[in-house]
Amino acid sequence: MPQSIPQSVELMPVALSVAGMSKTFGAIHALADVSLSFRSGVVTGLLGENGAGKSTLIRVCSGEMQPDSGVLRLGADTVAFRNPLEAMRAGVVVVHQEPQLVSELTVADNLFLYRLGEKAAFETISRRDHVRRARELLERLAMTEYVPDPAARCRTLSAAERQMVDIVRALSMNPRVLFLDEPNSSLTHHETERLFRVVDKMRQDGVGVVLVSHRLAEVYEIADHVAVLRDGRYVADGSPQEIDQSRAVRLMAGEQKTAAAAAAAVDRLVGRDGPPSLELKNCSGPGFHDVSFAVRPGEIVGMAGLVGAGRTEIAASVIGSTRMTAGSVRLDGRPVRVRSPRDAQRRGISYVAEERRSELFGTQSVGFNLTVRVLERLGPLGLVLHRRQDALAKRLTARYTVKTTSVTAPITALSGGNQQKVILARALATEPKVLILDEPTRGVDVGTKAEIYKTLRDLAHREGVAVWFISSEMEEILELADRILVVRHGQIVRDAPNTADPNPVVAAAMGVAEGRS
Amino acid sequence: MTTTSTHTAPETAPTMERSAWRAFLASLAKRQEVGLLALIVVLALIVNSVNDRFLTPSNVYNLLQTVAVIGIIAVGQTFVLIAKEIDLSVGSVLALSAVTTGALFGGGLTPWVAVLAGLAVGASCGLVVGAAVVFGKVSSFIVTLGMLSIARGMTLLVTGGLPQRMPAELSFIGQGRILGGLPISVLVFVILVIVGQWVLTRTVFGLRVTSVGDNATAAKLGGIPVARTRLLTFMLIGLLAGVAGIVFSTQVGVAEAQAGTGYELDVIAAAVIGGASLSGGRGSIVGAFLGATLLGLLRNSFILLGLSAFLQQLSIGLVIVLAALFDQWRQGNLGSMKHWLQARRRK
Repeated sequence: MPQSIPQSVELMPVALSVAGMSKTFGAIHALADVSLSFRSGVVTGLLGENGAGKSTLIRVCSGEMQPDSGVLRLGADTVAFRNPLEAMRAGVVVVHQEPQLVSELTVADNLFLYRLGEKAAFETISRRDHVRRARELLERLAMTEYVPDPAARCRTLSAAERQMVDIVRALSMNPRVLFLDEPNSSLTHHETERLFRVVDKMRQDGVGVVLVSHRLAEVYEIADHVAVLRDGRYVADGSPQEIDQSRAVRLMAGEQKTAAAAAAAVDRLVGRDGPPSLELKNCSGPGFHDVSFAVRPGEIVGMAGLVGAGRTEIAASVIGSTRMTAGSVRLDGRPVRVRSPRDAQRRGISYVAEERRSELFGTQSVGFNLTVRVLERLGPLGLVLHRRQDALAKRLTARYTVKTTSVTAPITALSGGNQQKVILARALATEPKVLILDEPTRGVDVGTKAEIYKTLRDLAHREGVAVWFISSEMEEILELADRILVVRHGQIVRDAPNTADPNPVVAAAMGVAEGRS
Repeated sequence: MTTTSTHTAPETAPTMERSAWRAFLASLAKRQEVGLLALIVVLALIVNSVNDRFLTPSNVYNLLQTVAVIGIIAVGQTFVLIAKEIDLSVGSVLALSAVTTGALFGGGLTPWVAVLAGLAVGASCGLVVGAAVVFGKVSSFIVTLGMLSIARGMTLLVTGGLPQRMPAELSFIGQGRILGGLPISVLVFVILVIVGQWVLTRTVFGLRVTSVGDNATAAKLGGIPVARTRLLTFMLIGLLAGVAGIVFSTQVGVAEAQAGTGYELDVIAAAVIGGASLSGGRGSIVGAFLGATLLGLLRNSFILLGLSAFLQQLSIGLVIVLAALFDQWRQGNLGSMKHWLQARRRK
């Protein structure tokens, strides 16, 4: 990759800047007092872990979201975009991770899709004209070689080609600042090189390019400048020489977290005797390959990795929601074949899914939501005795400190944290031997988080339940896990006891040689 | 965090009790069934003030008899709607069950065996629909639209378009009365409503139906047999369509090939008026009973009041839409509308 770094990045004019930018969602600070500049003709790599605030920053800059406080400047002017359309007209354009194309229309139609919005519904539109204009546009942008025939339907395109169509569409708006959000996450290395040739061309045209990607090595191939966010805060920015890859990893992971995690590690049990409660050997399935690990009774195993690394897919296969294509699973040392989530539950595996919305029965009461997995146990002959159902629900709300006026209150009346407790209590009502949790505390306030951690520790360390949780929050992994697995590209790349040091975990998740510390 | 929030603090007990009582009344007032019942009572009193023969037991019984057929299927349709599915084939399945019974009786089978065969045919139609929905992953709207035509076609094939005589031994189901004039068909209807409400709220099956319709993903991950529950739900409505077919054909003495044409709309209307939501999870069998009753009452009162049949058609449509709007209001889904109106007023 030829690098054409300008003599000094600092000499380039600032295209877009934010100052004192903050945005909160409930108790969570997605952005806290962030100040950053993106310069024209410079490729800035925006780095950070999941949840560091990169996506929120893009949304705030592109009018998709309004900041709580802070100033956005385009060049020298202070601006406030009410919606993405206004931002686009002003020259701030985002290319999203998933290209937003109408797959039944042609490439040309998609390039001029905005015209369908501008024209009145009864007007006609010439699709042949679109194709002609698309060819002109591609020639003008010198992008003809990168994009398939404009008359082709988008349905027939590869992921890389769809990405290019989206980029051409962005370029056709003459952007001053272009955000590329994970543009290469589904591209091969060769395709990424092609993409970067286009990025290089944009840079020479004076566009300020902001590249968000988890593939650090590739970011460093093209970036002239890097900026690091952590927990919604600005951490550092500088040239790629000042902030090299291993330094970037350390900055993303954060060093002050280690103290808290080390304190939590004190009362940690490491492993117990006897066969593992759950053991996977060379398991493959949709989205993961050759995965082996074990969870012992009384042990909390944390699974780290980037979003999309294949963690949820492994859990889905273990509970029989999707089919495993190879490998063997053992429960308490005995080989099993789990055919469905129902089968998993019967064998003592309980699962809590990632999205709270996908776990709630929104039209129903707290009591229903608590007892829905154990209806069969609430009476003889398929009857559900309300007396028994209420008693169980009350027992569960008391034990897991769910704050509700009564068990007959609608579940939607509860706060997010209490809903999460209900979902956890429901999974525990089945008295599982293995508990699998996907992002157990997402969107939950700090106090509830601490309560959930205590519940899980008690379950594992006192009652001997094998707990396996998936989390994208490094802090959570370090605080809760006895042992940490790291998943990358559908494979386990690291399996080691929790030493409360985030660096090797982040490095393994990102696929970087371990940071020197 | 403590658990005291779930208990009533002693010193505030009296006020708490009163406010709890008021909250109970308020929640009652917001129930679809209560609103419906009030509407039915008011309408009945109005009609009665014009025509004092209206609120006599025999007229009430007659009214209920006319809604029994629709109402029995509406019990099943409520289950189907709660499971976030829909069944459009019920009118045709009703006819197929009825003519099967009639034809088998005509072919020499004993009446009760013929009835069982008719019911089995109804349940089988449901099984076929359910299998196509569950295993073929086709939307139930399409599958039952197909079954609407298939069952009607089979009815015509079985009968050659000719009415089938129903056994005289069974005519008591449609025409018999007990306990001082209570029609047996109404008794069957009421018993099915009570049993249906009980099954919906007090049995594993009923709660499974609710969970599948509310959130199928969560139900599946929670170990609920989603496929089996859906299959059983479609079999249940098929069976109830069969029961309705027997009731209908014994009321008139013959099973006609065109019986039940267009009933699917009345059945869905009754369930929706009763509070069933097309987006799944919510519904009430008692509500469906009241919905069917309201529909019958409207028809009956228009005749008694001597009003135009055109107006009848129009007002029934209005009731369906208003019931759905009322349902949205009591769910609190019209809050944004209130804000919108306030915002407009401020301008």
